[in-house]
Amino acid sequence: MILVVAEQRDGKLNRASWEAIAAAQQLAGGATPIKIAVAGQALSGVTAELSAAAVTEVIAVDDAALGVYTPDGFVQALQQLIASVSPAVVLFAHTYQTRDFSATLASRLDRALVTDVTAIRSVNGATAYARPMFQGKLVADVVPQGPAPHLVTIQIGAFRADAVGKGAAAAPVSAASVTIDTAAIRQKPEAPFQEAKQAVDLSQAERIVSVGRGIKTQENIAVAEQLAKAFGAELAASRPICDNGWLPMERQIGSSGQTVAPKLYVALGISGAIQHLVGMKGSRTIVAINKDADAPIFEVADYGIQGDLFELAPALIAELQKS
Amino acid sequence: MERETLEVDVLIVGGGPSGLSAALRLAQLQKQQGGEPLSIAVVEKAREAGAHSLSGALLDPSTLRDLIPDFQAKGAPLAAEVHEDNIYFLTPQKKFRFPVTPPPFENHGNYIISLNQFTKWLAGQVEAEGIDLFMGFAAQHVLYDGHRVIGVRLGDRGIGKDFQPKAAFEPGADIHAKVTIFADGVRGHLTKQLTRQLNLDAESGPAQFAIGIKEVWEIPKDRLKPGTVIHTLGYPLKEEEFGGTWLYAMPEGRISIGLVAGLDYHDPLFDPHAAFQHFKLHPFIKGILEGGQLMRYGAKALPEGGWNTQPKLFVDGGLIVGDAANFVNSMRLKGIHLAMRSGMLAGAAAFDAVRAGDTSAAFLSRYKAAVDESVIKTELYPVRNVHQAFGAGLIAGSAFAGFTMATGGHLLQDLPGHAGHKQMRTLAQYYGLQKRDVITGSNAAPFDRKITFDKVTGAHYSGTHHEEDQPVHLLVQTDVCHSICGDEYGYPCVRFCPANVYEMVDNGTGGKRLQINASNCVHCKTCDIMDPYAVITWVPPEGGDGPQYDGM
Repeated sequence: MILVVAEQRDGKLNRASWEAIAAAQQLAGGATPIKIAVAGQALSGVTAELSAAAVTEVIAVDDAALGVYTPDGFVQALQQLIASVSPAVVLFAHTYQTRDFSATLASRLDRALVTDVTAIRSVNGATAYARPMFQGKLVADVVPQGPAPHLVTIQIGAFRADAVGKGAAAAPVSAASVTIDTAAIRQKPEAPFQEAKQAVDLSQAERIVSVGRGIKTQENIAVAEQLAKAFGAELAASRPICDNGWLPMERQIGSSGQTVAPKLYVALGISGAIQHLVGMKGSRTIVAINKDADAPIFEVADYGIQGDLFELAPALIAELQKS
Repeated sequence: MERETLEVDVLIVGGGPSGLSAALRLAQLQKQQGGEPLSIAVVEKAREAGAHSLSGALLDPSTLRDLIPDFQAKGAPLAAEVHEDNIYFLTPQKKFRFPVTPPPFENHGNYIISLNQFTKWLAGQVEAEGIDLFMGFAAQHVLYDGHRVIGVRLGDRGIGKDFQPKAAFEPGADIHAKVTIFADGVRGHLTKQLTRQLNLDAESGPAQFAIGIKEVWEIPKDRLKPGTVIHTLGYPLKEEEFGGTWLYAMPEGRISIGLVAGLDYHDPLFDPHAAFQHFKLHPFIKGILEGGQLMRYGAKALPEGGWNTQPKLFVDGGLIVGDAANFVNSMRLKGIHLAMRSGMLAGAAAFDAVRAGDTSAAFLSRYKAAVDESVIKTELYPVRNVHQAFGAGLIAGSAFAGFTMATGGHLLQDLPGHAGHKQMRTLAQYYGLQKRDVITGSNAAPFDRKITFDKVTGAHYSGTHHEEDQPVHLLVQTDVCHSICGDEYGYPCVRFCPANVYEMVDNGTGGKRLQINASNCVHCKTCDIMDPYAVITWVPPEGGDGPQYDGM
């Protein structure tokens, strides 16, 4: 049995959970049953959403002590859950939260953990999890050793959320009973930072319009903003733009900013330095507009337009507004 | 503001080969002699041991054998024993093999290593002795009591771009020590402060440096036998430029390839990174690289001045070791064994001083005496003028080097050296008056993204990372950049920086403005050395930031 641990916050499902479910369905190949667990408090909305997937069961791990995320609380809950359902493999989306607790969980369980997995394949009859090394230059096939369950985290954007097989009827939802020893929770979380509250989470955006040095001046950012609005997209940028303070750092894509994998990524005047590419090359459809035909962005673009973004962007906006 | 203070007997600043050797020697003496245990601390700005260490590298194992006799059994990561030395003179299209390998280039019995893996291993040996390594802590200032060095202040954490403390602000601790060993590497920022403050270079020649740019590649396994060593002279450097290249073959098709260029070049439009690209495009080298893959990139300055450029090595409460003391044999292209040796000697002197309760300069001078009695002097003294002689060009310098080797360097008067950055000519001097305000290098290279790569891509392959919201760690008097530099030198920082930290961008009013991409920095120190106006000062960014060398 494969267990997928979905992630939610304040009753809102993290979109990357669907990608982990898609990975589980690929791994199961229709043969192995899949269960989805989600931990927190007041989970009925989230479990109803998750029960649309073609899985055998959705398990709510509902406890007052899990209302606010703490690594100690989640490790306790998931350790007990895994002991009671005995999965062969546990999949997580490789989110910030997963990164925070998964190593502790694996060590408590004394089981192997494979992180940031981009593909699952069979190598000589064994299940191998592909994960990037050397900043994506090499891909290693990792076959976890030791007794089950093996813990695996799935890189965001590696699997397609919309590829999740939906069930003919909603999967049954059950509640798991866990006992959380609140005295053993060492973290006392405070309210999220004000700045974090405002911060845009680009990794959740379905469409992104991203702007680079080709925009030339701060005033011209408005052009990109209008295009983003026309697409219903979030606005993002490459490094120089955020360096200049033309957009806040939280909108920076790339190795020193965020990694994103939206359905649509429009790169305006971005040359495509490798530091930028590693942050967005997982996007499903990449559209690049650049003056320089040799710009490396065209090597990853699905649609490339060589030309002046100041001519092309308004034309695109006009066209989008028609429809 | 609350600042923590930590008291130790011996503080070692810098966790490279010299600092770690000093630490290990201290632990060994402790074991041999017993008594009240000394408290020893090592601080290192890299997040992990060895992450800022970069070299070719060929290791002469002589010091290692003395420090850790069973280094083989302890699993020292020596990639390959050298089995074949080749030295070539290159022209743009051809190569000419030197009929015999000149003795300094002979590497029989030496090992090809990755310095960063070696350093990591050495750090493991030090930790096994129970010594605390504080990784990811950058020492920011030397602390004095009058003329006595009493320790260092670590850098604050959590300061924003605007110099205001952020939510996670943590003031850096003061570490007080009876003896502080400065092992802060080539052009160490603390040794630089110390040298100025206490006038330690009054009797030494101006320090001289080169920049080394290195890549690790994976090529088809059968192309070069592991243990093959190739050095070249000539192209792509001009006759007036000191330097050369290397290519070392390790197992599994991994090779270390790089170029060293003296930071005393004359042409203001010279770009060392571009020279390295031309080297890779030379038919001989391209044939080796083709079909291979770039794995890693990095750069680091190296001391080239030799014996006569060592600063005064001891002060009240302080000692200087390794690259910080310029202990590199530029004839043999080796310094790791000398760095380790100086670390061992300094460790012993510090141990004796703490035991004797006398850490004055007078007592610590035994370190200098030990250096003079050691292989460091035997090796460096005879070749003390070689780099200085190359100031007269490759042919004259080579003739001088040959003569030096033949005579043991005894018959000759010391040659005066010159600070490298003063060797750079202005555009007018080098090109005549017609060239002004140019940025493109005289040796600009094409980037095909297969064999040659631009600097930004290089910075990526160095793994360098810096917290973006922190003050820029390159202090530049930008009025010079924005007024005279363009006309006089054509903004040489844009070219000598191997990581695209310096960029001249449109200032919006028809002129140019210096943009410092500080987070690309690979901590090579070239800008601090080569800027012709000496208006760039490298200071450490937040501890833990910088390149993440792995296998370099």
